[in-house]
Amino acid sequence: MISSSLIPCGQFKTSYAKDTTIFDTPVMRAWAVASVLFLIAAPSFLNNYHLSILIQIGFMGIAALGLNILVGYTGQISLGHAGFFGFGAFASAWLNNSFGVPVVLAMPLAAVMTTVLGLLFGIPAGRLKGLYLAIATFASQFILEDFFARADWFSGGSSGAAAAPVNLFGYELSGDTGFFYVVLFWVVVMFLIGSNLLRTRDGRAFIAVRDHYLSAEVMGINLTKYRILSFGLSSFYAGLGGALYGHYLGFVSAEGFTILMSIEFLGMIIIGGLGSVAGTLMGTTFMVLLPEVMEGGVSIAKSLIGGDVSWLNEGLAYIKQASIGLAIILFLIFEPDGLIHRWRLGRSYWKLYPFSY
Amino acid sequence: MRKLLLASAAVTLVCTGTAQAADIVIGHLADLTGATASVSKPFAGGVADALNYINAKGGVKGDKIAFETVDYSYQVPRAMAQYKKWTSESKLAAIQGWGTGDTEALVSSVAKDEIPYFSASYSGHLTDPQGKTSAKAAPYNFFYGPSYTDGCRGLVEWAAADWKKKGGKGQAKFVHMGDNHPYPNAPKDACGAYAKEKGFEILNPIQYSLKPGDFKAQCLSLKESGADYAYLANTSGSTISLLKSCETVGTKAQFMGNIWGMDEAGLKASGEAANGMTWVVAATTWADTTPGMTLVREISKLSDPSGKEERPSHYMRGICSAFYMKEAMDIATTMPGGVTGANIKAAMYKKSNWVPAGLEGVCLPSTWKADDHRGTTQVMVYQAAIKGEDVKMTKVYAAELPRRPEWLGW
Repeated sequence: MISSSLIPCGQFKTSYAKDTTIFDTPVMRAWAVASVLFLIAAPSFLNNYHLSILIQIGFMGIAALGLNILVGYTGQISLGHAGFFGFGAFASAWLNNSFGVPVVLAMPLAAVMTTVLGLLFGIPAGRLKGLYLAIATFASQFILEDFFARADWFSGGSSGAAAAPVNLFGYELSGDTGFFYVVLFWVVVMFLIGSNLLRTRDGRAFIAVRDHYLSAEVMGINLTKYRILSFGLSSFYAGLGGALYGHYLGFVSAEGFTILMSIEFLGMIIIGGLGSVAGTLMGTTFMVLLPEVMEGGVSIAKSLIGGDVSWLNEGLAYIKQASIGLAIILFLIFEPDGLIHRWRLGRSYWKLYPFSY
Repeated sequence: MRKLLLASAAVTLVCTGTAQAADIVIGHLADLTGATASVSKPFAGGVADALNYINAKGGVKGDKIAFETVDYSYQVPRAMAQYKKWTSESKLAAIQGWGTGDTEALVSSVAKDEIPYFSASYSGHLTDPQGKTSAKAAPYNFFYGPSYTDGCRGLVEWAAADWKKKGGKGQAKFVHMGDNHPYPNAPKDACGAYAKEKGFEILNPIQYSLKPGDFKAQCLSLKESGADYAYLANTSGSTISLLKSCETVGTKAQFMGNIWGMDEAGLKASGEAANGMTWVVAATTWADTTPGMTLVREISKLSDPSGKEERPSHYMRGICSAFYMKEAMDIATTMPGGVTGANIKAAMYKKSNWVPAGLEGVCLPSTWKADDHRGTTQVMVYQAAIKGEDVKMTKVYAAELPRRPEWLGW
């Protein structure tokens, strides 16, 4: 009998269920489970800095996955993702501070509130496409940013809102280790939901809307409904990511959720791979790690040259910023399909090694 | 070749990981490439030069201060990550921080980790270490200079005196101008309340963006409102644009800028549009000849050996911020446990009317107390006199604000 780790040459799937499994092979499933188990054990040998980077990848990744559902799967565009991310952060803090909702509950509730908001701001998507939609979502970014700075009752206005740490069964999960598990839990749940979504009728409808909206409509898909639904879903992810971000920092300030952050989210999914769940995580990892790696490189360069010379500091700061931009441009030129494409190429190479052709 | 490169990279990685055991490790955050770079650069330069100078002169009782200036581009997540990196690599004794975003985000973390945070964000609520009046206590936050609110209150006092001197009739009109953003908004309500108390009529605030642009519309509303005194709460970049626009429109209001709202470079850039403007200064200017300036000039030579560069007053404030920390560390060496964050905090309360040695006349005498982190409530108001290329700054007023208990953290 052929080992189950290998896929036999050719298509041998005999049912739709087999065709739409999340993991192509049992080995891949085993790998996914193993990496989650590895992450569960990770805090025992990683320091707080590494954990905080993993946590960042976690909450940014959740929000980026939301954007990928909207942009990569449904073919819409949003320049207002940071606004929803921020709304989730403020909403969770607000629910907790004003109504005493426990943080564990406040986070998903905040995500639901963000969903409602997303459905509202998604309405123009029913009518607009392409650049026009981009501008409409751009407006939502500014409306939300201004709302954060003004709505004292909700966001604390200019002085911001304090976000309490997660409290579970009387045990405060305020440190990086505790919060790491909270984020890991949500990453696993949200990415499973994301992968499963695309196996449902609604998920296929999203893809149909993206690939050819006219055909989709002819087949009986309600375009307006699915476009707006996609906005709602993506906002749910953004809201949850934002809530995690807020409670991790312990403080939410209206300053952070700018258009630049929205664009960074777009960068993550483009670099990772549009329309790929795993690619989203790769793109987020890339975008979060890049400045850290550059920072490390700058430190090494400084120690090589020796001393803390001010012109050097400034020069290196510019080199660092420029190389982040450069890395992104190079990516777009040489790997327009995203990191996930490179990953698949690498995997198929090793699968056939040494007999690849 | 590749192996060689890898090996050398590995060696350097190992080398950078080990700071000398006796060093006092601190963090230094700056914004060299972000939204506030124009004012952060001179401030960070002051901090870095001062620390290098301290190290060259024997450090803190023989121990060197190990620091690295990290540019976080005014992005809070980057500051957070950097903070975690520092704290997981070594035990930090203190941090020289920067703006509103990073300072606010780290308030609870530094309190938990007991790391004094010397910021260049002067938001009023950071002065409340025990959370008496504000929602959140900021026990480990320190800054040198008057808070944004106190700065604005000082300007209000000057304006009241100015109104009287000019023989203005009736109630003078006061307006707050700034972006709808945490930093310009920080002093809005509290300062407005004080202006009201001083007999001003408070007009509806006028909003102008933190990003430089064309502000003629705002200047027209300013003109129509008939305001006599306009408080500009943004940073210098957008304030310059506003002054230029208002010169074209022809407004009669007296402009008053906050501490980051105007500086030497800003005056040169705005030219005669800034003539007569007043703003808050909390250290000497480069042209001053107070005794402490000798030391400042010596420190400045570390990054500018020619001694020709004229530093803006932000640079002097950076030096003050570093020297208060250094002297607190000196005191902490005598305490059990040595130079730890908690001891530096305790040392900050030891002195009153405190001016770091050698910086007399540069740093304002400051007093920090365990329940009151308002270092100084003295506000110096400078006025610009500009004619063509000739730029002059003169001190026109010094307000000594009372330490009212209800003003703590507001």
